Amino acid sequence: MGAMTSTFVDSFRARDWRHFDLQLLLYVLLLISVGVVMGYSAAFNDPPPAAGMSQTVKTLIWAAIGLTLFFVAASVDYRWLRTLAVPIYATVLGLLLLTMFAGRNLFGAQMSVTLAGLDFQFSEVGKVLMIAVLAAFLSSRRERIGRLATIVVAGVLMGVPTLLVFAQPDLGTALVFVAILVGMLFISGASLGWMGLGAAAVIGAAPVAFGLLHEYQRNRLLCFLDPYADAQGACYQLVQALNAVGSGGLLGRGLTVGGEGQRGYIPVQSTDFIFTVVAEDLGFVGGVVVLTLFSLLVWRILLIGWRARDAFGLLIAAGLASMILFQLLVNVGMVTGIMPVTGVPLPFITYGGSSLISLLFGLGILQSVRMRSHKPDL
Amino acid sequence: MADVNDGRLDLTRSRPRFIAFGVASAVLVLVLGGRLFQLQVLQGAEYAGRAAADRTVEVPIVAPRGLVFDRAGRPLAVNVPSWTVNVRPADLPEGGRERVLARVADLTGVDAGDLGSRLAAFSGSSFDLVPILRGVSREAALLISEEGDRLAGIEVTVEAQRRYLDETGAPGGELLSAVVGYTGPIDRGEYAALNDEGYLRNDAIGKAGIESAFESELRGVYGSQLVERDASGRQARVISTLHDPEPGLNLMLTIDAHTQRLATRALEWGMEVADVSQGVVAVMNPQTGEILAMVSLPAYDNNKFASGISAADFNAYLADPDRPLRNHAISDIYPPGSTYKLVTGIAAMEEGVTTPSRLWQTYGCFQIPGAPEGECLYDWNRQGFGRIDMVDAFAVSSDTFFYQMAIETGIDPLAAWANDLGFGQRSGIRLPNESAGIVASTEWARRQGRSGVFTGEVAQAGIGQNVIAVTPLQMLNAYAAVANGGRLMRPMIVRGETDAAGNLVRAYAPEVIRELAASDESLRTMRIGAREVITTGHAYNIRDLHLPGALSGKTGTAEFGELTPGGTLPFHSWFVAYLPSEAGATDADLAVVAFNYSAVVPGNVSAEVVKYFLQMYFNLDQDLRLDPNDFSLVSAN
Repeated sequence: MGAMTSTFVDSFRARDWRHFDLQLLLYVLLLISVGVVMGYSAAFNDPPPAAGMSQTVKTLIWAAIGLTLFFVAASVDYRWLRTLAVPIYATVLGLLLLTMFAGRNLFGAQMSVTLAGLDFQFSEVGKVLMIAVLAAFLSSRRERIGRLATIVVAGVLMGVPTLLVFAQPDLGTALVFVAILVGMLFISGASLGWMGLGAAAVIGAAPVAFGLLHEYQRNRLLCFLDPYADAQGACYQLVQALNAVGSGGLLGRGLTVGGEGQRGYIPVQSTDFIFTVVAEDLGFVGGVVVLTLFSLLVWRILLIGWRARDAFGLLIAAGLASMILFQLLVNVGMVTGIMPVTGVPLPFITYGGSSLISLLFGLGILQSVRMRSHKPDL
Repeated sequence: MADVNDGRLDLTRSRPRFIAFGVASAVLVLVLGGRLFQLQVLQGAEYAGRAAADRTVEVPIVAPRGLVFDRAGRPLAVNVPSWTVNVRPADLPEGGRERVLARVADLTGVDAGDLGSRLAAFSGSSFDLVPILRGVSREAALLISEEGDRLAGIEVTVEAQRRYLDETGAPGGELLSAVVGYTGPIDRGEYAALNDEGYLRNDAIGKAGIESAFESELRGVYGSQLVERDASGRQARVISTLHDPEPGLNLMLTIDAHTQRLATRALEWGMEVADVSQGVVAVMNPQTGEILAMVSLPAYDNNKFASGISAADFNAYLADPDRPLRNHAISDIYPPGSTYKLVTGIAAMEEGVTTPSRLWQTYGCFQIPGAPEGECLYDWNRQGFGRIDMVDAFAVSSDTFFYQMAIETGIDPLAAWANDLGFGQRSGIRLPNESAGIVASTEWARRQGRSGVFTGEVAQAGIGQNVIAVTPLQMLNAYAAVANGGRLMRPMIVRGETDAAGNLVRAYAPEVIRELAASDESLRTMRIGAREVITTGHAYNIRDLHLPGALSGKTGTAEFGELTPGGTLPFHSWFVAYLPSEAGATDADLAVVAFNYSAVVPGNVSAEVVKYFLQMYFNLDQDLRLDPNDFSLVSAN
């Protein structure tokens, strides 16, 4: 208990800041910059909004809020989170229930609530908070980590918010929750045998789950098998996305040239399909740069995790890495036609305040892990 | 140093799992990079080409539908622009949906809630164009277009809509709805059958009357154009026209709208005074088979269909027991009564049962051969007419004379002669839903599971009762064939094709179905008889009309149903007539049939209807119409 008696103010120790991880911040800032530029390019030919701020200005404001949260989170000792796991979990469930009952209908799904004029998708911050909850639970299992009960309890803990998100309906975010669970269980040392059995059960239940989906969700999922079967219908987005990515070529068509290119043919291009803008404007080279930035970021997160002073910090890193990697994989896989079409945002680049602010908050916690690790050097 | 975990209390860290995680991450990112390489570098040119091709789309150009004129060149069916307000849900401003819909409701004078619920009822993609208000006025359409900037997500489209006109050129579809019909949105089944022929999912198609029967002529051939699309499939710019549309053919009907109006007026009057709920008048030129008027009452308003009929209106039409959506002149069959004695007379003479001059005893009640004593069939005249020949029997409409003719002729020869005159078969007029009617024969009885037709029924068949049912058009055409000297003509409803101004540019030729097998003598005998019907006073004062010819015809009644409280059966009344230059001549160029369903006044209201029609048609300064209380002066038979 001695450690926990250290006062909250003790957290803000100047020597911690000497361990501040600049690389982590650098990759994040670069990715945010890519998002701002690509969002600007995507919206270049759209008429300016009749009222309010442009998309670019909004993104910059969100980034400022997010970075503030990043530094606040970094300055607070992350181990406080562990003691707050139960109230955090209750908050996540409360926010998701609030979304269900007070949510605004956005493209047919109850995904966001409006707070002080700002649409907020609580499922985004829910992802980050659930990483903390799971990390607290798994790190408490110690020598019992290999038992089946670990997987069952973790599954139930994660399952409730997952189902709430799935019911919104937001299939993509629900899958992200599952990916976080799997990634964290794996790193925590949970039984591979039981995990394998669980995976087999999930695969076995897939046809049932498929039947529970809405028809439009099913049609979109099936598109990736043969996009040209219904190129004017359910697969219209995907076909247009493939055309855009493909026509980017090696070097791309250049920023904002979309007026003559594919710009505007892809619905919700600045959100889920933003990578088509990267690929069309900046070509293969630009795509590789973005993939490289993500690789560097994930590598950095994993490294911080490995050097964390405790398993709680390690598992926070594992959760963040799983989340970012999975979203990258699904989003880029989707627009390149190797993954089914599900609405998963590309971290930092997809236009949207909730996602950006939540991510920066999560990485702020990770920065806190880094600043308080035993080893000064990585 | 504060550290609760201090390693030993904490989880042990698995280096292999960490490495596995990292390697898996690297592999997955490499897969993404490889896929990008494949799409962008290896197949980039292919996709760029496909993208260019996908940006253009072939869009059909709707051909203007052919117009319909009457025989004098009066327009009856024309195309007028119709504006529709559509919503593309994805383009509605965020949070401004209610404001936009409320503004549209303001400009069009409808309820915003209705628009909202119509939009909510749509379940397709949010990038589809959803029609929420059809038939918007030109003024409202312009206002909405002007406010386009502030009404994001709203698009006004203009389409051609059918408008049906009366003889004055004013909107008034009821005058000719039974003939012209209407167009409506293609339904699922029709689309499935026709999309190979270029029909579009939201196309219009003829649903009834001329609009349906001449669909392929009126529709024309749709053209196509290459259009560049912008975001989400919206059409931005026409690149080129691939095929120009070929407008549909403009048709001239054989109908004269003015004659149609007179016939309608006459029938409306007769139905009103005799309290009749269904009636028909059809007018034909016996020489060519051209239909000059075809009135079926009650009528429906086909303009309601043209603008998208409401469910309430449509259900009201369907629920009406007098079936306004059916053309009673061709689709419904009724017992013909004494008008059918034409068939029996011809059959008896042709089969050698009688000659024009041979006299037959008539009775108040005719004993059916082979039936028990006293089982007899009454004449409408309970005294009988004594010994009379064919002409007199037809003129006075003796039932017992024609019972004997029918029984002596036999049911199958009677049926064969009926068929020769066009009964029991469709005339082939190019209108949809024509009925064939019923002509009793041995084969007909066998189809009913009986061995044959009873003698009593044969007698009834001889006077057009019980086992005979015909359409008014069949009756008109049979008399027309006798009137023209023996040519059964195909009833014509379209005279030819016109230019856009209604001038005939290509006339369709009249068509003879067949020359009647009956001898000239038999036909002439029946024509003399038909003239006698008028002159001997059987049709009362109609003979006093100053007509330019020797009107000839036949009355008919057909009893049916159950006894009224007054002890009589309800009956349909018929009158069919034609106008040759003199008795027996074959030069008639006007024939009329009138039919009234279930009259409740005694006498023959149909004869009164024809009389009134002829007065108006020939502009006579006579009005010989009877007071409804005196209708019984006209023999019902």
